[in-house]
Amino acid sequence: MDVNPILLEVFKNRFISISEEMGVTLVRTAYSPNIKERRDSSCAIFNASGEMIEQAAHIPVHLGSMPLSVKSAISEMELNDGDMVILNDPYKGGTHLPDVTIVAPVYHNSEKPLFYVANRAHHADIGGMTPGSMPLSTSLFQEGIIIPPLKFVENGKIDTKIMKFLLNNVRTPYEREGDFAAQIMSNIIGIKRIKELIEKYSRKTVLFYADELINYTERITRHIIKNMNDGIFEFEDYMDNDGIVDELIKIKVKLEVKNDEMLIDFSESSLQVKGSVNAVFAITASAVLYVVRTLIDREISTNAGILRAIKITTKKGTVVDANFPSAVAGGNVETSQRIVDVLLGALSKALPEKIPAASQGTMNNVAIGGIDERRGTPFAYYETLAGGMGASPKNSGANAVHSHMTNTLNTPVEALEYSYPFLVTNYSIRKGSGGNGKFSGGNGLIREIKFLSDSEITVLSERRKLQPYGLNGGEPGQNGLNIIIDENGNKKIMPSKFNVSVKKGSVLRVETPGGGGWGDSLQG
Amino acid sequence: MIIIGVDTGGTFTDFVYIEGDEIKIYKRLSTPANPAEAVLDGINKISSDDKNIIHGSTVATNAILERKGVKTALIVNKGFEDIIEIGRQNREELYNLSYQRPKQVVPEELRFGIKGRLLYDGTIIEDCDENEIDEIIQHIKELDIESLAVSLLFSYVDNSHEKVVEKIANKYNIPVSCSYKVLPEFREFERTSTTVLNSYVSPIMHRYINFLQNNLNKKDILRIMQSNGGSISAETAMVESIRTILSGPAGGAVGALEIGKLAGFDKLITFDMGGTSTDVSLIDGKLSYTYESKISGMPIKVPMIDIHTVGAGGGSIAYLDEGGALKVGPESAGADPGPICYGKGSKITVTDANLYLGRLIPEFFLGGNMKLSIDKINSYFDNLAEKAKMTPVELAKGILEIANVNMERAIRVISVEKGFNPAEFTLFSFGGAGGMHAAFLAENLSINNVFIPKNPGILSAFGMLMADIIKDYSLTIMIDEANASYSDIENRFEPLLKKAANDMKTEGVNEDSLNFEYYIDMRYKGQSHEITIPFNKNFVETFHEFHDRNFGYKNIKKSTEIVNIRLKAVGALKKPVIKKYELNGKNLAEDAIIAEKDVIFNDVSPVKTKIINRDNLKPGNIFSGPAIVVEYTSTIVIPPVWNAKVDEYENIILEYKKI
Repeated sequence: MDVNPILLEVFKNRFISISEEMGVTLVRTAYSPNIKERRDSSCAIFNASGEMIEQAAHIPVHLGSMPLSVKSAISEMELNDGDMVILNDPYKGGTHLPDVTIVAPVYHNSEKPLFYVANRAHHADIGGMTPGSMPLSTSLFQEGIIIPPLKFVENGKIDTKIMKFLLNNVRTPYEREGDFAAQIMSNIIGIKRIKELIEKYSRKTVLFYADELINYTERITRHIIKNMNDGIFEFEDYMDNDGIVDELIKIKVKLEVKNDEMLIDFSESSLQVKGSVNAVFAITASAVLYVVRTLIDREISTNAGILRAIKITTKKGTVVDANFPSAVAGGNVETSQRIVDVLLGALSKALPEKIPAASQGTMNNVAIGGIDERRGTPFAYYETLAGGMGASPKNSGANAVHSHMTNTLNTPVEALEYSYPFLVTNYSIRKGSGGNGKFSGGNGLIREIKFLSDSEITVLSERRKLQPYGLNGGEPGQNGLNIIIDENGNKKIMPSKFNVSVKKGSVLRVETPGGGGWGDSLQG
Repeated sequence: MIIIGVDTGGTFTDFVYIEGDEIKIYKRLSTPANPAEAVLDGINKISSDDKNIIHGSTVATNAILERKGVKTALIVNKGFEDIIEIGRQNREELYNLSYQRPKQVVPEELRFGIKGRLLYDGTIIEDCDENEIDEIIQHIKELDIESLAVSLLFSYVDNSHEKVVEKIANKYNIPVSCSYKVLPEFREFERTSTTVLNSYVSPIMHRYINFLQNNLNKKDILRIMQSNGGSISAETAMVESIRTILSGPAGGAVGALEIGKLAGFDKLITFDMGGTSTDVSLIDGKLSYTYESKISGMPIKVPMIDIHTVGAGGGSIAYLDEGGALKVGPESAGADPGPICYGKGSKITVTDANLYLGRLIPEFFLGGNMKLSIDKINSYFDNLAEKAKMTPVELAKGILEIANVNMERAIRVISVEKGFNPAEFTLFSFGGAGGMHAAFLAENLSINNVFIPKNPGILSAFGMLMADIIKDYSLTIMIDEANASYSDIENRFEPLLKKAANDMKTEGVNEDSLNFEYYIDMRYKGQSHEITIPFNKNFVETFHEFHDRNFGYKNIKKSTEIVNIRLKAVGALKKPVIKKYELNGKNLAEDAIIAEKDVIFNDVSPVKTKIINRDNLKPGNIFSGPAIVVEYTSTIVIPPVWNAKVDEYENIILEYKKI
């Protein structure tokens, strides 16, 4: 079969349409605010060997890691029509435990699966030592319940034993049950639509164009890389600490741009650490995939084709490719951001007219739990906070917006105070926090929450010590700042990462980092 | 008294009015610098008697899109001045390294924070300070601010603080929009955004309407079309201008609903294909509404007819990208330079592809008044086809197929993704380019009927003529279903009802023609997305059913909560009677077929196709494809596998031949 440019475009649209519909179904029917209001979820379609064909763009951090989940699921067990696999084990294709993936095969009068569909959602709690399951842990076992690939749905029926077991191990089982149902429904929609596609165009044609879409994305990616400056570019930056040992953690990349390929080597990064900022390989791959995707300024299928034009090297046992059972809760959210920062830093030498200064470089994860005095019921809440975007060679950075590896929505103050025993006392832009430059970095934000019940707070944040870098003479953005004001009004500056129990009436104030500036302000 | 519908949507300002039992049309070029000129000129040409005018205006929409509203200040709670800029913290473009937020309507220095704080249940934990507010408003007055928006946390539970600000603003004679009036619903960013935009455009609308009124007869009645498909008085539109946003497409949907209903079609998917974009909406016996619209990147949460827009139209440009895929749009050649065949363009568009295949007939395009250069397009098709390694005919067909797939995706969003099967609907096609694509699109969606109304080019203005007076009211009540009986909730409607009855009286609606529709927004407890359902005694069951249809599942064991109550007040207006003709013979009159042409449909080789002049078709006529029906503003392509008939209202209905 020859590739027909018309059908190629038609199938691109069809697959995008299917993954988007899966996403709409998941977001609309889920229970966790994380999934619904914040859209911390992703849906994708894979070929029979587990290569990604199309992913609905919700959250970049899921980009490179979903295929590993699918590969892990299909290598562990045979999936029949009507079966679905659940998993969250970071060492078997997951990222961190709250991200639960459900994978399903697509059969169509066939002996073997023709495709797979999968979706991943960040659950508000998955057990472990602190509410919200984003603890300052030193081992994976503290972070929540570890789900290896398990057949969660068999022949169209949910395995109630597994469900019961899972629900018994999380803080808000009612929400979890709803979220699992939403994830299953999303896959069912995906399966249905792919079957319709096969009925319309024939199995042979659909399979052919699914592969051709990957080839297509590969061609576009290579075309983009070919237009970059060849050479070897190095860049390094540091993370504040791991939350347990107060030492800087180095992330270093050696980028080689060679004709239409990129070799990306992280092996000189720090060894894995005691605290929870270790990244499994899947996360490093996601961060790289995200960066390469930003270089492609048009609508393409985000898929395995991108990975074919790049080679990622890591060293086992480093902070960017950690070994079991290292703690990983924060690797997904924090280390991934720094991997992006260093790769963009290296790329700024290959593509100076395109690459921006560093953005806030953290997601400012705040998890809070306790007993709601107003209702006598337990609560678990998790949110991430936006910050400044780095200025680009074209314009100033945006204020108070999520950058790079996340793009989740906030929880409105009026929704938050209705559902949780909190009073938000300040939510504003942190003026002057963006770095100066010809184009200045975006400002971070201030979020201040007063607790109306005794609460346990866990904060996982970065860029409290080292500033987001400026580029081409632009100044760095301001550090972030974490502050606890206790019930008696005593103010205490907290580290990047901490866990603390506070009394009713205490206040948590987070000031998020600004973005770096671009270009010398005097030459404006 | 003559009733006139006026739509200022595009290049032309359209007028539709009834004279005797005839629907009359007048079209003239718009006057974008002051749209009122074209409006007044047309109205004066139509009649010098007293008139009842229903006007769909783009004044408010354009003021937002072009950021030409008035200098607006914003008062919010202290510490929350930037919520309007922070938005929901997300970026609209995931992979754009140079992402920028939409330009702010209220700059940082015009956002003011005041004391006063409520809890979610209305408990006041800090009172507002009148002196502080007075000082701020004095300051605002000194800055020559023309409009003020007020949005305080939880004002939908207790509006007393907003009322204090309102009172002081009135004292200083500053036009003020308060969130408790504009949108008493929870989620502060969306409420503030809606209130601010209302504040930003209302003074502009005020001036525009004043200008119109000053130049109309004293006894003329001027009503303004809203995005909810109903009209409101000019006086109301001056203070609730945000409700007039995107009213043109809303007029189209109302027109489709009314014409469809009359002809016996009440399940419609409307399809309005223009030069740069295509609007689609779903009508399942009644219009579908959305409460989540955005304009220029900013949310507006007032109810609007749910119209989905996609960047595919007659002017969409086709090209081959570096990866070897054929792309169509979203870049458009627009009106200038326009498609190659219009003379100035140099990039192949959808319109060129239709011409290449013979589906657009040059000598009848705009009555033959605009010359299409057919010779010019051949070399462009040859070149691109060679690059794409296909024949020019395959290329032209491919361009149309891709454009159709883009539009099909839009229709799937409003139908399949919301639990509707498009195959159960009729595709209602209007606008200039729609008729060339409708049958092909219908086949893709397994739709068996295509409906092309009489005068498809002025449907929006016609819809305005048919629109009722509609006002929407809402309030967040946020209660557990377990704690609320039917009558508890019914009681919560009381203040809304009282206000609505009062307002409708002011609108001139008498009690006999006034109807109320009751809706509530519900969700499973813990969810954060509500669905709107009709409020009835079995509202919980209704909710489960709707949830099942929208999302594919329900869980009757889970408890639910009622988030908002919604009241729609409808003042039915006497609709103009549309003339019904006798059905004459099936056979076409002799002068109906005006030419025969070679046209390419699904096969590669051309088919002899009759060209029919719509003006000479008679009610009752039946004919089969292949055929092309031409009229002044549109072309209808009827492929070989379709039949066509003219109904008693002179609509054309296509039917897929059952084989």
